Amino acid sequence: MSESPNPESLLTMTGIVKAFPGVRALDGVDLDVLPGEVHCLLGQNGAGKSTLIKVLSGAHQPDDGVITWRGEPATLGSPVAALRLGIATMYQELDLVPGLSVAENIFLGNEPASFGFTKRLAMRGAARDLLRRLGHPEIPPGREVGLLSSAGQQLVSMARALAHDARLIVMDEPTAALAADEVDNLFRIVAELTAEGVAVVYISHRLDEIRRIGHRVTVLKDGRTVAAGLPANTPTSELVNLMSGRMVETVFPRRDVSTVDESREVLRVEGLTREGEFADIGFTLHAGEIVGIAGLVGAGRSELLETVFGARKADAGTVMVNGKPLRPGSVPAAVAAGIGLAPEERKSQGLLLDQSVADNVTLASLPAFSRAGFTERGKELRTARATLERLDLRPADPRRIARTLSGGNQQKAVVARWLVRDCSVLLLDEPTRGVDVGARAELYRLIHQLAAAGVAVLLVSSEVPEVLGLADRVLVMREGRLLTEAPAAELTEAAVLDLVMEGSEVMT
Amino acid sequence: MSIDPSRRKFLLGASALGMSLGAGALVAGCTSNTPAAAGPQQVAGGSGANAQPGKPVTIGFSAPAADHGWMAAMTKNAKAQAAAFKEVTLDATEGTNDVNQQIAQVETLINKKVGVLVILPFDGKALTAAGQQAMDAGIPVINLDRVFDTPLAYRTWIGGDNYRMGVNAGDYIAKQMKAKNVSNPIIGEVAGIDSLPLTQERSKGFKDALARNGFKVGPRVSAEFTAESGERQTANLLQGASKLDALWNHDDDQGIGVMAAIDSASRKEFVMVGGAGSRDMMNRIKADNTVIKATVLYSPSMASTAIAVARLLGQGKGVGDFAEHEVPASITTYSAVVTKDNVDSYLDVGFDS
Amino acid sequence: MTASSPGTAETVDQPVQPPPANVPKVRGFRPDLRLSILFGVLVVLCVIGYVTGPDTFLSESNISTMLRLAAAIGVVSVGMTFVIISGGIDLSVGSMVALASVWMTTLATQSYGPFVMVVCALAVGLGAGLINGLLIAYGKLVPFIATLAMYASARGLAERLSGRRTQVVNQQGYLDFFRGAFLGIPVLIWMLAVVYVVGWVVLNRTTFGRRTFAVGGNAEAARLAGINVKRHTAMVYAVAGLCCGIAALMVVARTTSGASTNGLYYELDAIAAVVIGGTLLTGGRGTLIGTLIGVLIFTVVNSIFTQNNLETDVQNIAKGVIIVAAVLLQYGTNRTRKT
Repeated sequence: MSESPNPESLLTMTGIVKAFPGVRALDGVDLDVLPGEVHCLLGQNGAGKSTLIKVLSGAHQPDDGVITWRGEPATLGSPVAALRLGIATMYQELDLVPGLSVAENIFLGNEPASFGFTKRLAMRGAARDLLRRLGHPEIPPGREVGLLSSAGQQLVSMARALAHDARLIVMDEPTAALAADEVDNLFRIVAELTAEGVAVVYISHRLDEIRRIGHRVTVLKDGRTVAAGLPANTPTSELVNLMSGRMVETVFPRRDVSTVDESREVLRVEGLTREGEFADIGFTLHAGEIVGIAGLVGAGRSELLETVFGARKADAGTVMVNGKPLRPGSVPAAVAAGIGLAPEERKSQGLLLDQSVADNVTLASLPAFSRAGFTERGKELRTARATLERLDLRPADPRRIARTLSGGNQQKAVVARWLVRDCSVLLLDEPTRGVDVGARAELYRLIHQLAAAGVAVLLVSSEVPEVLGLADRVLVMREGRLLTEAPAAELTEAAVLDLVMEGSEVMT
Repeated sequence: MSIDPSRRKFLLGASALGMSLGAGALVAGCTSNTPAAAGPQQVAGGSGANAQPGKPVTIGFSAPAADHGWMAAMTKNAKAQAAAFKEVTLDATEGTNDVNQQIAQVETLINKKVGVLVILPFDGKALTAAGQQAMDAGIPVINLDRVFDTPLAYRTWIGGDNYRMGVNAGDYIAKQMKAKNVSNPIIGEVAGIDSLPLTQERSKGFKDALARNGFKVGPRVSAEFTAESGERQTANLLQGASKLDALWNHDDDQGIGVMAAIDSASRKEFVMVGGAGSRDMMNRIKADNTVIKATVLYSPSMASTAIAVARLLGQGKGVGDFAEHEVPASITTYSAVVTKDNVDSYLDVGFDS
Repeated sequence: MTASSPGTAETVDQPVQPPPANVPKVRGFRPDLRLSILFGVLVVLCVIGYVTGPDTFLSESNISTMLRLAAAIGVVSVGMTFVIISGGIDLSVGSMVALASVWMTTLATQSYGPFVMVVCALAVGLGAGLINGLLIAYGKLVPFIATLAMYASARGLAERLSGRRTQVVNQQGYLDFFRGAFLGIPVLIWMLAVVYVVGWVVLNRTTFGRRTFAVGGNAEAARLAGINVKRHTAMVYAVAGLCCGIAALMVVARTTSGASTNGLYYELDAIAAVVIGGTLLTGGRGTLIGTLIGVLIFTVVNSIFTQNNLETDVQNIAKGVIIVAAVLLQYGTNRTRKT
């Protein structure tokens, strides 16, 4: 795939490799960006886009590969070095200082100064020029950035890129937080910049955007470039095919027999709504069934799970467990009814990192391990050990401190918490995030075992193959709405991806 | 100061809080009293021609927060004295231990053009400029107790004599020791806050008086003018000294704690002298069944005198029995030694700790 | 229900996780070693005390005096330990001691007799602590702010109630009991011991204690495990308030009086003792034994200085040095800790 670098290229990256403990995030990425073009990056979650951006911005150093900038070999040793060369990055989470003014943010780390004194007036004037160039002269340079709308903050971020005289601007999902007219303005600015010869690397899940402003497309999958420099009008089906079809399918144990007990409806959700997060969601879950929810980050999946669990209070709708309505907005009520949640952020939401595994396992069922308020340590340790053995968590030592466990074992410890309660509904939010491939296989097997034992599992994952491989039924969510519900066997990865990404008109 | 209506209202509020505290009627019952009714107050009567009401005078008054008995008595006495003169209006600011705030209060009083200012500064050095500003504005200033840096900042200074307090306490103890024929007495000292000049002066006077008699100060601790610190420090002092012959405690406010510690340790072998002159200590001296046998005065009656003198200044009069036409530039009160023999004649100047 | 094969078998290029058996069991946090070091510091101080005062320091009466002096701040520190383990802070403990001591010694309260005085102090402490807890848990105030407000207002209310006077106890029955001794040991020391034993059991052997650790270690995880974090937080501050009520009983007994100046700087002394004792200010970890040793270290230092007739300013310097030294010593045992 690696041809000789195009002499006209602004940037070429060849064979970029970046490994983290347990994960090979980039495994031979090629990218070739021409001056004045909008070059789109496509790929599923985990395909390596974020890591590639960090390499481009100088935040990560590649383990292998060659980077050429304007025909010369270059190293992007730090964010400052990348900026000096003329590569500016606008992150998804805006990296602005909310308490500083617009002008101060634009020139942060790059303040025009003499003798150590910031030239405030010069700075404000320059900031005003930049904002005018971006079509927003009405933003006052002295305004505190925290007071601006997210569109305004994005403009500040872009002005900062321009202030560095960037030749290449990396935009990571810039439209995620924008309304329709703001998107139009953004695209106008992008068109003006490219007309001046500035190149843009554009990351978005919305194929229609790519069609509107993109010139060429590079597709990543599993840390590799699978197609480089395709024309932007490549048919959707071809792009989706390139993105899907992972090679790690082997880790999904096939479900030979379905364990679904159609006669026992365990969970029924009707008309569940939370303003601005999701609306009118309804579905059912049977004993022994695994239901997967597919969708992009921000589609409202985690919010839905937390609302079912009572950690967020629904604005409308009901949750019924075993036929009984659940008190809304009460975690203790959900737990008492037999629901368990393994949250998305294992470390910050799930575990007491500095306490023992046993403490973590019994946390949700302390009354069962105490008599008259006094804890029964022996019983706790015995039960914890038995549960760890059942989950094949090795070593099954309930006294270990949770922080010292690997990601997969930490996830098992969280699941164990609900197993000792004999919960009937288990909500799993991104259970394999940050877990290496081997440990994933174990978790998949565990989820099957739980279903076989009659637990109803509701699984959220950003990885479509995972949802398809594990679930009996699949719900597809986009922008807070439930689009489709279908048996997993009737869906293909390409079809789900299509649903998840296409039709991305901005909701108003 | 009698209980004014606003205060009563507040206490009602406090008992309402008591209810909300969950203690119910029980705790609410705890609040049904008001602080012990006002004791004797020292009011100076004008004598001779000065007894006649003169022209109206507005007196501004600024003092630190009344956070212990002595300071509370100072403010109380000033108000009582002012109330005794029909033609005197007292403009008293809320007591504060924040020097900046006290300066601001004094400046406010200057702007109000009060006739005379009585300032008891939290810190004499820090308030000097404020005093001088008032004098420059033509308002005579009476500097009460804690002295300004320069006489230019006051018209008259009225205060106690910390050094003489120590001297009189030392002399009294020395006399007792000699009467008992103790040759090499161990004499302890419970001082107040060590960083304050007044504590240093008291200790120096005490040391000098003992030295004059051939004695010296033995174990010494410093408390913080509170009962709790007095108890803590004295308990430690008594542990360090298995035998004592005499003990001087600088301050009767902290004296309650000092007495409690002596009681805890069941110590009776020594003679104790107090300081400042609280009514509680005077009563104990009178009862004569504990170690305390005397207290040296540093009486808050000086606040009454200050108001009386301020009135004379405002009316351009002199002090009755003095030959001078003007009020003196400085008045130092005497630190009398109150013992069982003379306590009855001093009970009226004892303050509530 | 056991899985058939270990998980790493079927993957090829994944770096194998280090075998978990080699990971130290409790990396970075060895409470036993930390406590031993702390106890060593206490022993060294006692040796210094003995050397500089061989006749007096280790005498029965001096030990008794030191423990009685440690009693009130010791009890307050128990409540502070609970609060800090739960991830909070209570700046109002000294003011609550003052308020409880004043309220229980007003003439009206005293007129009901010693029993009512005791109930009054405990109720006032509990109530003030509960107000802290409700403001923090349900009013969503930061603990620092809520208790700072109580710090100011409780002492203010105490000054109002007492008219800034020292209220002498006239109930001899109260003084006889609390200033007395039982089996030759002063009642205050018994109370101190009982509070620590009860506190230790509650913290380490009950669901209440477990939840306190959980809330301080990771409030969100505790919430998502079905624990009522708000109610628990409110209760922890109420416990701290109750401890202040008990401390007020002790202070009133010691000084034979109640005053709004009681409990000055208790919040600083208690926080210092708790931190020296190895409890993390960020919550989730801590021991009451450490706190007790911390309190005793300060008491012994105070006694040594008084015994040797040294100035209080030197004593304050020594206190500061001890805080830093004790914490550094413990971190020395703890290098690998990741924050």
